[in-house]
Amino acid sequence: MLNGQKLVEVSELIRVFPTPEGEVRALDGVSFDVRAGEFLSIVGPSGCGKSTLTMLIAGLMRPTSGLVAVDGRTVDRPQTNLGIVFQNAVLLAWRTALDNVLLQVEMRGLDPRQYRDRAMELLHSVGLAGFERRLPHELSGGMRQRVAICRALIHDPPLLLMDEPFGALDALTRDQMTLDIQGICTRGGKTVLFITHSIIEAVFLSDRIVVMTPRPGRVDVIIEVDLPRPRRLAVREDPTFAAYARDIRDRFMVHGVLHDIDTPGQAPA
Amino acid sequence: MRWRSWSPPALTVMAVIIIWELAVHLLRVPEYLLPAPSGVVSAMVAEWRYLTFHTWVTTQEILLGFTLAVVVGLPTAMGIVYSPLVERSIYPLLVASQSVPKIAIAPLLIFWAGIGLLPKVLVAFLISFFPIIIDTVVGLRSVEPEMLHLARSMGAAERKIFLKIRFPTALPNIFAGLKVAVTLAVVGAIVGEFIQADQGLGYALLQANAVLNTKLGFAAILVLAALGVVMFLAVDLIEKKLIPWHASQRSELAAGTL
Repeated sequence: MLNGQKLVEVSELIRVFPTPEGEVRALDGVSFDVRAGEFLSIVGPSGCGKSTLTMLIAGLMRPTSGLVAVDGRTVDRPQTNLGIVFQNAVLLAWRTALDNVLLQVEMRGLDPRQYRDRAMELLHSVGLAGFERRLPHELSGGMRQRVAICRALIHDPPLLLMDEPFGALDALTRDQMTLDIQGICTRGGKTVLFITHSIIEAVFLSDRIVVMTPRPGRVDVIIEVDLPRPRRLAVREDPTFAAYARDIRDRFMVHGVLHDIDTPGQAPA
Repeated sequence: MRWRSWSPPALTVMAVIIIWELAVHLLRVPEYLLPAPSGVVSAMVAEWRYLTFHTWVTTQEILLGFTLAVVVGLPTAMGIVYSPLVERSIYPLLVASQSVPKIAIAPLLIFWAGIGLLPKVLVAFLISFFPIIIDTVVGLRSVEPEMLHLARSMGAAERKIFLKIRFPTALPNIFAGLKVAVTLAVVGAIVGEFIQADQGLGYALLQANAVLNTKLGFAAILVLAALGVVMFLAVDLIEKKLIPWHASQRSELAAGTL
Protein backbone atom coordinates (compact mmCIF):
# COMPACT_ATOMS: atom_id res chain seq x y z
CA MET A 1 0.00 0.00 0.00
CA LEU A 2 1.23 3.46 -0.86
CA ASN A 3 1.90 5.85 1.94
CA GLY A 4 -0.91 8.29 2.50
CA GLN A 5 -3.72 5.94 1.45
CA LYS A 6 -6.29 5.06 4.06
CA LEU A 7 -5.24 1.91 5.90
CA VAL A 8 -7.83 2.10 8.65
CA GLU A 9 -11.23 3.70 8.21
CA VAL A 10 -13.51 4.27 11.14
CA SER A 11 -16.94 5.67 10.39
CA GLU A 12 -19.83 6.63 12.65
CA LEU A 13 -18.70 4.12 15.23
CA ILE A 14 -21.03 3.67 18.20
CA ARG A 15 -20.43 1.26 21.02
CA VAL A 16 -22.83 0.90 23.91
CA PHE A 17 -22.15 -1.28 26.96
CA PRO A 18 -25.04 -2.64 28.96
CA THR A 19 -24.43 -2.27 32.71
CA PRO A 20 -26.65 -2.91 35.73
CA GLU A 21 -27.10 0.87 36.01
CA GLY A 22 -28.26 1.16 32.41
CA GLU A 23 -26.49 1.60 29.13
CA VAL A 24 -23.12 3.29 28.95
CA ARG A 25 -22.26 4.89 25.65
CA ALA A 26 -18.49 4.52 25.31
CA LEU A 27 -18.21 5.72 21.72
CA ASP A 28 -20.78 7.98 20.11
CA GLY A 29 -20.33 8.35 16.37
CA VAL A 30 -16.57 8.33 15.94
CA SER A 31 -15.13 8.81 12.46
CA PHE A 32 -11.52 9.20 11.36
CA ASP A 33 -9.01 7.35 9.29
CA VAL A 34 -5.42 6.27 9.63
CA ARG A 35 -3.25 6.74 6.58
CA ALA A 36 -0.69 4.16 5.61
CA GLY A 37 2.70 4.98 7.07
CA GLU A 38 1.51 7.63 9.49
CA PHE A 39 1.77 7.78 13.26
CA LEU A 40 -1.65 8.68 14.59
CA SER A 41 -2.35 9.25 18.26
CA ILE A 42 -5.68 9.23 19.97
CA VAL A 43 -5.62 11.34 23.07
CA GLY A 44 -8.43 11.76 25.52
CA PRO A 45 -9.41 11.51 29.18
CA SER A 46 -10.00 8.20 30.94
CA GLY A 47 -13.33 6.67 29.97
CA CYS A 48 -13.59 8.32 26.56
CA GLY A 49 -13.60 4.93 24.89
CA LYS A 50 -10.00 4.93 23.66
CA SER A 51 -9.43 1.32 24.60
CA THR A 52 -12.81 0.33 23.18
CA LEU A 53 -11.61 1.83 19.93
CA THR A 54 -8.51 -0.40 19.92
CA MET A 55 -10.66 -3.44 20.53
CA LEU A 56 -13.03 -2.50 17.71
CA ILE A 57 -10.25 -1.85 15.21
CA ALA A 58 -8.55 -5.12 16.17
CA GLY A 59 -11.85 -6.92 15.60
CA LEU A 60 -11.86 -8.20 19.18
CA MET A 61 -15.22 -6.52 19.83
CA ARG A 62 -18.25 -5.76 17.65
CA PRO A 63 -19.51 -2.19 17.30
CA THR A 64 -23.10 -1.44 18.25
CA SER A 65 -23.30 0.39 14.94
CA GLY A 66 -20.93 1.96 12.47
CA LEU A 67 -18.09 0.48 10.54
CA VAL A 68 -14.39 -0.28 10.84
CA ALA A 69 -12.41 -1.22 7.75
CA VAL A 70 -8.74 -2.18 7.57
CA ASP A 71 -7.09 -2.23 4.17
CA GLY A 72 -10.47 -1.77 2.53
CA ARG A 73 -12.09 -4.80 4.21
CA THR A 74 -14.78 -4.52 6.86
CA VAL A 75 -13.58 -5.76 10.22
CA ASP A 76 -15.93 -8.51 11.40
CA ARG A 77 -13.50 -10.90 13.10
CA PRO A 78 -10.22 -10.68 15.04
CA GLN A 79 -7.64 -9.05 12.79
CA THR A 80 -4.38 -10.92 12.43
CA ASN A 81 -2.43 -8.63 10.13
CA LEU A 82 -1.39 -6.31 12.94
CA GLY A 83 0.61 -6.12 16.15
CA ILE A 84 -0.90 -5.07 19.48
CA VAL A 85 0.78 -3.63 22.56
CA PHE A 86 -1.29 -3.17 25.72
CA GLN A 87 -0.60 -1.12 28.83
CA ASN A 88 0.61 -4.29 30.56
CA ALA A 89 3.25 -6.31 28.81
CA VAL A 90 1.28 -9.57 29.40
CA LEU A 91 4.25 -11.86 28.94
CA LEU A 92 4.11 -15.57 29.73
CA ALA A 93 5.98 -16.04 33.00
CA TRP A 94 7.61 -19.34 32.01
CA ARG A 95 9.01 -18.13 28.71
CA THR A 96 12.25 -16.24 28.24
CA ALA A 97 12.21 -12.82 26.59
CA LEU A 98 13.15 -14.47 23.29
CA ASP A 99 10.48 -17.16 23.56
CA ASN A 100 7.87 -14.57 24.48
CA VAL A 101 8.66 -12.73 21.26
CA LEU A 102 8.48 -16.01 19.34
CA LEU A 103 5.04 -16.80 20.81
CA GLN A 104 3.59 -14.60 18.06
CA VAL A 105 5.26 -16.83 15.46
CA GLU A 106 4.30 -20.12 17.13
CA MET A 107 0.67 -19.13 17.53
CA ARG A 108 0.54 -18.35 13.83
CA GLY A 109 1.77 -21.84 13.05
CA LEU A 110 5.05 -20.55 11.60
CA ASP A 111 8.43 -22.11 12.26
CA PRO A 112 10.03 -20.29 15.23
CA ARG A 113 13.52 -21.34 14.11
CA GLN A 114 13.20 -19.20 11.00
CA TYR A 115 12.30 -16.17 13.10
CA ARG A 116 14.91 -16.62 15.80
CA ASP A 117 17.49 -14.33 14.22
CA ARG A 118 14.93 -11.62 13.58
CA ALA A 119 13.68 -11.87 17.16
CA MET A 120 17.25 -11.49 18.44
CA GLU A 121 17.76 -8.48 16.15
CA LEU A 122 14.57 -6.86 17.41
CA LEU A 123 15.52 -7.44 21.05
CA HIS A 124 18.97 -5.94 20.38
CA SER A 125 17.39 -2.94 18.63
CA VAL A 126 15.41 -2.11 21.78
CA GLY A 127 18.45 -2.45 24.02
CA LEU A 128 17.79 -5.95 25.34
CA ALA A 129 21.01 -7.56 24.10
CA GLY A 130 22.11 -10.02 26.76
CA PHE A 131 18.61 -10.32 28.23
CA GLU A 132 17.20 -12.75 25.64
CA ARG A 133 17.30 -15.69 28.04
CA ARG A 134 15.84 -13.86 31.03
CA LEU A 135 12.41 -14.67 32.37
CA PRO A 136 9.90 -11.81 32.68
CA HIS A 137 10.27 -11.58 36.46
CA GLU A 138 13.98 -10.93 35.98
CA LEU A 139 13.26 -7.88 33.81
CA SER A 140 12.21 -4.35 34.76
CA GLY A 141 8.80 -2.97 33.77
CA GLY A 142 10.31 -1.02 30.88
CA MET A 143 12.22 -4.07 29.64
CA ARG A 144 9.08 -6.20 29.77
CA GLN A 145 7.22 -3.64 27.68
CA ARG A 146 10.08 -3.65 25.17
CA VAL A 147 9.71 -7.42 24.86
CA ALA A 148 5.98 -6.90 24.27
CA ILE A 149 6.80 -4.41 21.50
CA CYS A 150 9.18 -6.87 19.86
CA ARG A 151 6.46 -9.53 20.04
CA ALA A 152 4.11 -7.13 18.23
CA LEU A 153 6.70 -6.54 15.48
CA ILE A 154 8.23 -9.98 14.88
CA HIS A 155 5.80 -10.90 12.08
CA ASP A 156 6.37 -7.49 10.44
CA PRO A 157 2.74 -6.33 10.44
CA PRO A 158 1.83 -3.18 8.51
CA LEU A 159 -0.26 -1.87 11.41
CA LEU A 160 0.70 -1.46 15.04
CA LEU A 161 -1.97 -0.79 17.70
CA MET A 162 -0.63 0.56 20.97
CA ASP A 163 -3.05 1.05 23.83
CA GLU A 164 -1.36 3.26 26.43
CA PRO A 165 1.82 1.21 26.13
CA PHE A 166 3.77 3.42 28.55
CA GLY A 167 0.93 3.85 31.04
CA ALA A 168 2.50 1.61 33.67
CA LEU A 169 6.05 2.98 33.38
CA ASP A 170 7.90 5.64 35.34
CA ALA A 171 8.50 9.07 33.79
CA LEU A 172 12.15 8.54 32.80
CA THR A 173 11.47 5.14 31.24
CA ARG A 174 8.55 6.69 29.36
CA ASP A 175 10.85 9.33 27.85
CA GLN A 176 13.29 6.69 26.67
CA MET A 177 10.52 4.45 25.33
CA THR A 178 9.00 7.37 23.46
CA LEU A 179 12.32 7.94 21.68
CA ASP A 180 12.74 4.23 20.99
CA ILE A 181 9.25 3.89 19.56
CA GLN A 182 9.89 6.80 17.24
CA GLY A 183 13.03 5.04 16.01
CA ILE A 184 11.36 1.67 15.53
CA CYS A 185 8.34 3.07 13.73
CA THR A 186 10.07 5.43 11.33
CA ARG A 187 12.65 2.77 10.45
CA GLY A 188 10.05 0.12 9.64
CA GLY A 189 7.63 2.39 7.79
CA LYS A 190 4.85 1.16 10.08
CA THR A 191 1.39 2.61 10.41
CA VAL A 192 0.83 3.21 14.09
CA LEU A 193 -2.31 3.89 16.06
CA PHE A 194 -1.13 5.08 19.44
CA ILE A 195 -3.56 5.56 22.29
CA THR A 196 -2.49 7.74 25.19
CA HIS A 197 -3.70 10.25 27.74
CA SER A 198 -0.39 12.08 27.60
CA ILE A 199 -0.55 15.23 25.49
CA ILE A 200 3.25 15.49 25.41
CA GLU A 201 3.69 11.93 24.16
CA ALA A 202 1.03 12.43 21.52
CA VAL A 203 2.58 15.63 20.15
CA PHE A 204 6.09 14.20 20.29
CA LEU A 205 5.30 11.02 18.38
CA SER A 206 2.46 11.85 16.01
CA ASP A 207 1.87 12.98 12.49
CA ARG A 208 -1.75 13.55 13.44
CA ILE A 209 -3.62 13.58 16.72
CA VAL A 210 -7.28 12.73 17.22
CA VAL A 211 -8.49 14.55 20.33
CA MET A 212 -11.45 12.85 21.99
CA THR A 213 -14.17 14.35 24.18
CA PRO A 214 -15.05 12.88 27.57
CA ARG A 215 -17.69 10.12 27.65
CA PRO A 216 -19.53 9.57 25.45
CA GLY A 217 -16.40 9.62 23.30
CA ARG A 218 -16.56 11.68 20.15
CA VAL A 219 -13.86 13.13 17.93
CA ASP A 220 -13.35 16.69 19.10
CA VAL A 221 -10.67 17.80 16.68
CA ILE A 222 -7.93 16.28 14.54
CA ILE A 223 -4.60 18.10 14.67
CA GLU A 224 -1.77 17.77 12.16
CA VAL A 225 1.63 17.98 13.84
CA ASP A 226 4.15 19.60 11.57
CA LEU A 227 7.46 19.10 13.35
CA PRO A 228 10.59 17.80 11.58
CA ARG A 229 11.69 14.20 12.22
CA PRO A 230 13.53 12.61 13.87
CA ARG A 231 12.45 14.55 16.94
CA ARG A 232 14.78 14.94 19.89
CA LEU A 233 13.58 15.20 23.48
CA ALA A 234 14.53 18.88 23.42
CA VAL A 235 11.83 19.54 20.82
CA ARG A 236 9.46 19.59 23.76
CA GLU A 237 10.82 23.02 24.74
CA ASP A 238 10.28 24.28 21.19
CA PRO A 239 7.58 27.03 20.94
CA THR A 240 5.85 25.22 18.06
CA PHE A 241 5.69 22.04 20.17
CA ALA A 242 4.34 24.03 23.10
CA ALA A 243 1.67 25.56 20.87
CA TYR A 244 0.42 22.12 19.78
CA ALA A 245 0.33 20.94 23.38
CA ARG A 246 -1.56 24.10 24.41
CA ASP A 247 -4.11 23.58 21.62
CA ILE A 248 -4.94 20.13 22.93
CA ARG A 249 -4.96 21.29 26.55
CA ASP A 250 -7.36 24.08 25.61
CA ARG A 251 -9.71 21.55 24.05
CA PHE A 252 -9.61 19.57 27.31
CA MET A 253 -10.42 22.75 29.24
CA VAL A 254 -13.37 23.49 27.00
CA HIS A 255 -14.75 20.05 27.73
CA GLY A 256 -14.08 20.29 31.45
CA VAL A 257 -11.47 17.54 31.43
CA LEU A 258 -8.95 19.98 32.88
CA HIS A 259 -9.69 22.96 35.16
CA ASP A 260 -6.97 25.53 35.63
CA ILE A 261 -6.65 27.14 39.06
CA ASP A 262 -7.73 30.61 37.89
CA THR A 263 -10.98 29.48 36.23
CA PRO A 264 -13.69 31.10 38.33
CA GLY A 265 -16.65 29.07 39.46
CA GLN A 266 -14.97 25.73 38.76
CA ALA A 267 -14.29 23.16 41.41
CA PRO A 268 -10.71 21.89 41.33
CA ALA A 269 -10.41 18.48 39.70
CA MET B 1 18.84 -21.06 55.79
CA ARG B 2 17.78 -24.72 55.60
CA TRP B 3 19.04 -25.46 59.09
CA ARG B 4 17.40 -22.35 60.44
CA SER B 5 13.98 -23.24 59.07
CA TRP B 6 14.21 -26.91 60.03
CA SER B 7 15.78 -26.66 63.46
CA PRO B 8 12.92 -25.15 65.55
CA PRO B 9 10.33 -27.82 64.65
CA ALA B 10 12.96 -30.56 64.87
CA LEU B 11 13.99 -29.43 68.33
CA THR B 12 10.35 -29.24 69.43
CA VAL B 13 9.72 -32.80 68.25
CA MET B 14 12.83 -34.04 70.03
CA ALA B 15 11.80 -32.31 73.24
CA VAL B 16 8.30 -33.82 73.06
CA ILE B 17 9.75 -37.31 72.50
CA ILE B 18 12.14 -36.99 75.43
CA ILE B 19 9.43 -35.68 77.79
CA TRP B 20 7.06 -38.40 76.58
CA GLU B 21 9.64 -41.15 77.13
CA LEU B 22 10.54 -39.86 80.60
CA ALA B 23 6.91 -39.35 81.63
CA VAL B 24 5.90 -42.88 80.62
CA HIS B 25 8.77 -44.37 82.66
CA LEU B 26 8.55 -42.08 85.69
CA LEU B 27 4.74 -42.19 85.99
CA ARG B 28 4.64 -45.92 85.21
CA VAL B 29 1.95 -45.52 82.55
CA PRO B 30 0.74 -48.98 81.44
CA GLU B 31 1.93 -49.80 77.93
CA TYR B 32 -1.59 -50.52 76.58
CA LEU B 33 -2.62 -46.96 77.53
CA LEU B 34 0.36 -45.06 76.23
CA PRO B 35 3.51 -46.77 75.00
CA ALA B 36 6.86 -44.99 75.25
CA PRO B 37 8.38 -43.78 71.99
CA SER B 38 11.08 -46.42 72.33
CA GLY B 39 8.35 -49.05 72.55
CA VAL B 40 6.68 -47.73 69.39
CA VAL B 41 9.98 -47.85 67.52
CA SER B 42 10.69 -51.39 68.69
CA ALA B 43 7.19 -52.46 67.60
CA MET B 44 7.83 -50.88 64.24
CA VAL B 45 11.10 -52.76 63.86
CA ALA B 46 9.64 -56.05 65.06
CA GLU B 47 6.58 -55.81 62.79
CA TRP B 48 8.17 -54.19 59.76
CA ARG B 49 7.10 -56.94 57.33
CA TYR B 50 3.49 -56.68 58.51
CA LEU B 51 3.52 -52.89 58.34
CA THR B 52 5.18 -52.81 54.91
CA PHE B 53 2.50 -55.10 53.48
CA HIS B 54 -0.36 -52.96 54.81
CA THR B 55 1.39 -49.74 53.80
CA TRP B 56 1.62 -51.01 50.24
CA VAL B 57 -2.12 -51.79 50.22
CA THR B 58 -3.03 -48.32 51.48
CA THR B 59 -0.56 -46.67 49.09
CA GLN B 60 -2.28 -48.36 46.15
CA GLU B 61 -5.68 -47.14 47.33
CA ILE B 62 -4.41 -43.59 47.73
CA LEU B 63 -2.65 -43.48 44.36
CA LEU B 64 -5.58 -45.00 42.48
CA GLY B 65 -8.11 -42.71 44.19
CA PHE B 66 -5.95 -39.65 43.61
CA THR B 67 -5.28 -40.56 39.98
CA LEU B 68 -8.99 -41.06 39.41
CA ALA B 69 -9.63 -37.65 40.97
CA VAL B 70 -7.11 -36.06 38.58
CA VAL B 71 -8.46 -37.91 35.55
CA VAL B 72 -12.04 -36.88 36.36
CA GLY B 73 -11.26 -33.48 37.88
CA LEU B 74 -9.18 -31.85 35.13
CA PRO B 75 -11.58 -32.54 32.22
CA THR B 76 -14.57 -31.54 34.38
CA ALA B 77 -12.86 -28.25 35.19
CA MET B 78 -12.14 -27.70 31.49
CA GLY B 79 -15.79 -28.37 30.70
CA ILE B 80 -16.87 -25.85 33.30
CA VAL B 81 -14.51 -23.20 31.91
CA TYR B 82 -15.29 -23.78 28.24
CA SER B 83 -19.01 -24.51 28.32
CA PRO B 84 -21.54 -22.25 30.04
CA LEU B 85 -24.04 -25.10 29.83
CA VAL B 86 -21.74 -27.49 31.68
CA GLU B 87 -20.99 -24.79 34.20
CA ARG B 88 -24.65 -24.06 34.89
CA SER B 89 -25.68 -27.69 35.03
CA ILE B 90 -22.76 -29.14 37.03
CA TYR B 91 -21.04 -26.47 39.05
CA PRO B 92 -23.83 -25.67 41.55
CA LEU B 93 -24.41 -29.40 42.11
CA LEU B 94 -20.72 -29.94 42.72
CA VAL B 95 -20.63 -27.22 45.31
CA ALA B 96 -23.81 -28.50 46.94
CA SER B 97 -22.43 -32.04 46.98
CA GLN B 98 -19.63 -30.85 49.20
CA SER B 99 -22.07 -30.28 52.04
CA VAL B 100 -22.63 -34.06 52.17
CA PRO B 101 -20.01 -35.52 54.51
CA LYS B 102 -18.11 -38.10 52.43
CA ILE B 103 -17.57 -40.22 55.50
CA ALA B 104 -21.33 -40.58 55.84
CA ILE B 105 -21.69 -42.11 52.39
CA ALA B 106 -18.64 -44.35 52.75
CA PRO B 107 -20.70 -47.26 54.21
CA LEU B 108 -23.04 -47.03 51.21
CA LEU B 109 -20.09 -47.23 48.84
CA ILE B 110 -18.88 -50.36 50.59
CA PHE B 111 -22.40 -51.71 50.25
CA TRP B 112 -22.43 -50.96 46.50
CA ALA B 113 -18.84 -51.61 45.52
CA GLY B 114 -18.36 -54.66 47.67
CA ILE B 115 -15.20 -55.49 49.56
CA GLY B 116 -11.64 -55.18 48.34
CA LEU B 117 -9.74 -52.30 46.77
CA LEU B 118 -12.51 -50.56 44.83
CA PRO B 119 -14.62 -49.04 47.64
CA LYS B 120 -11.52 -47.52 49.32
CA VAL B 121 -10.39 -46.09 45.99
CA LEU B 122 -13.84 -44.60 45.51
CA VAL B 123 -13.88 -42.95 48.93
CA ALA B 124 -10.37 -41.54 48.31
CA PHE B 125 -11.54 -40.28 44.91
CA LEU B 126 -14.78 -38.74 46.22
CA ILE B 127 -13.05 -36.89 48.98
CA SER B 128 -10.19 -35.55 46.83
CA PHE B 129 -11.62 -34.55 43.44
CA PHE B 130 -13.34 -31.36 44.59
CA PRO B 131 -10.27 -29.21 45.33
CA ILE B 132 -8.78 -30.27 41.99
CA ILE B 133 -11.85 -29.05 40.10
CA ILE B 134 -12.16 -25.80 42.02
CA ASP B 135 -8.49 -24.85 41.74
CA THR B 136 -8.26 -25.85 38.09
CA VAL B 137 -11.30 -23.72 37.24
CA VAL B 138 -9.77 -20.76 39.05
CA GLY B 139 -6.43 -21.35 37.32
CA LEU B 140 -7.85 -21.67 33.82
CA ARG B 141 -9.78 -18.45 34.37
CA SER B 142 -6.78 -16.54 35.69
CA VAL B 143 -5.40 -15.78 32.21
CA GLU B 144 -5.32 -12.03 31.67
CA PRO B 145 -7.97 -10.96 29.14
CA GLU B 146 -5.29 -9.02 27.23
CA MET B 147 -3.33 -12.23 26.75
CA LEU B 148 -6.39 -13.86 25.20
CA HIS B 149 -6.94 -10.81 22.98
CA LEU B 150 -3.34 -11.07 21.82
CA ALA B 151 -3.71 -14.78 21.16
CA ARG B 152 -6.77 -14.12 18.99
CA SER B 153 -4.94 -11.38 17.09
CA MET B 154 -2.28 -14.01 16.39
CA GLY B 155 -4.97 -16.09 14.69
CA ALA B 156 -4.49 -19.00 17.07
CA ALA B 157 -7.07 -21.78 17.41
CA GLU B 158 -8.61 -22.38 20.83
CA ARG B 159 -6.74 -25.68 21.19
CA LYS B 160 -3.42 -23.89 20.76
CA ILE B 161 -4.43 -21.14 23.16
CA PHE B 162 -5.25 -23.82 25.72
CA LEU B 163 -2.00 -25.72 25.31
CA LYS B 164 0.37 -22.78 25.10
CA ILE B 165 -1.33 -20.23 27.34
CA ARG B 166 -4.30 -21.32 29.43
CA PHE B 167 -3.06 -24.64 30.77
CA PRO B 168 0.47 -23.51 31.71
CA THR B 169 -0.99 -20.39 33.33
CA ALA B 170 -3.30 -22.60 35.41
CA LEU B 171 -0.54 -24.95 36.60
CA PRO B 172 0.25 -23.16 39.89
CA ASN B 173 -3.44 -23.31 40.85
CA ILE B 174 -3.77 -26.88 39.65
CA PHE B 175 -0.85 -27.92 41.85
CA ALA B 176 -2.34 -26.12 44.84
CA GLY B 177 -5.44 -28.26 44.30
CA LEU B 178 -3.39 -31.44 43.81
CA LYS B 179 -1.56 -30.91 47.10
CA VAL B 180 -4.81 -30.57 49.03
CA ALA B 181 -6.29 -33.50 47.09
CA VAL B 182 -3.44 -35.91 47.78
CA THR B 183 -3.63 -35.37 51.54
CA LEU B 184 -7.41 -35.83 51.38
CA ALA B 185 -6.94 -39.05 49.39
CA VAL B 186 -4.93 -40.42 52.34
CA VAL B 187 -7.84 -39.62 54.65
CA GLY B 188 -10.29 -41.19 52.20
CA ALA B 189 -8.38 -44.45 51.94
CA ILE B 190 -8.17 -44.81 55.73
CA VAL B 191 -11.86 -44.00 56.19
CA GLY B 192 -12.68 -46.68 53.63
CA GLU B 193 -10.53 -49.18 55.50
CA PHE B 194 -12.10 -48.29 58.82
CA ILE B 195 -15.53 -49.21 57.57
CA GLN B 196 -14.66 -52.55 56.07
CA ALA B 197 -11.28 -54.04 55.28
CA ASP B 198 -9.06 -57.02 55.83
CA GLN B 199 -5.85 -55.25 54.89
CA GLY B 200 -4.32 -51.76 54.79
CA LEU B 201 -2.96 -49.45 57.48
CA GLY B 202 -6.45 -48.49 58.67
CA TYR B 203 -7.23 -52.16 59.16
CA ALA B 204 -3.87 -52.72 60.93
CA LEU B 205 -4.64 -49.81 63.24
CA LEU B 206 -8.07 -51.17 64.17
CA GLN B 207 -6.67 -54.68 64.69
CA ALA B 208 -3.92 -53.41 66.98
CA ASN B 209 -6.43 -51.42 69.03
CA ALA B 210 -8.75 -54.39 69.29
CA VAL B 211 -6.08 -56.48 71.00
CA LEU B 212 -4.74 -53.54 73.05
CA ASN B 213 -1.47 -53.63 71.11
CA THR B 214 -1.19 -49.86 71.42
CA LYS B 215 2.50 -49.90 70.44
CA LEU B 216 1.62 -51.33 67.05
CA GLY B 217 -1.29 -48.88 66.73
CA PHE B 218 1.06 -45.97 67.25
CA ALA B 219 3.52 -47.49 64.78
CA ALA B 220 0.75 -47.71 62.17
CA ILE B 221 -0.22 -44.07 62.78
CA LEU B 222 3.42 -43.04 62.43
CA VAL B 223 3.74 -44.88 59.11
CA LEU B 224 0.48 -43.32 57.96
CA ALA B 225 1.72 -39.84 58.81
CA ALA B 226 4.95 -40.52 56.94
CA LEU B 227 2.95 -41.80 53.96
CA GLY B 228 0.92 -38.57 53.88
CA VAL B 229 4.06 -36.45 54.01
CA VAL B 230 5.72 -38.47 51.25
CA MET B 231 2.66 -38.09 49.01
CA PHE B 232 2.58 -34.35 49.59
CA LEU B 233 6.31 -33.95 48.97
CA ALA B 234 6.05 -36.01 45.79
CA VAL B 235 3.45 -33.62 44.36
CA ASP B 236 5.53 -30.69 45.59
CA LEU B 237 8.61 -32.09 43.84
CA ILE B 238 6.74 -32.55 40.55
CA GLU B 239 5.51 -28.98 40.86
CA LYS B 240 9.03 -27.64 41.37
CA LYS B 241 10.28 -29.61 38.36
CA LEU B 242 7.38 -28.61 36.16
CA ILE B 243 6.89 -24.95 37.01
CA PRO B 244 10.14 -23.56 38.38
CA TRP B 245 9.00 -20.12 37.21
CA HIS B 246 6.06 -20.04 39.60
CA ALA B 247 6.11 -17.09 42.00
CA SER B 248 5.85 -19.09 45.22
CA GLN B 249 8.87 -21.14 44.19
CA ARG B 250 10.66 -17.97 43.18
CA SER B 251 10.28 -16.36 46.58
CA GLU B 252 11.76 -19.50 48.12
CA LEU B 253 14.74 -19.19 45.82
CA ALA B 254 15.10 -15.55 46.74
CA ALA B 255 14.86 -16.38 50.43
CA GLY B 256 17.41 -19.16 49.92
CA THR B 257 20.03 -16.70 48.75
CA LEU B 258 19.82 -14.64 51.93
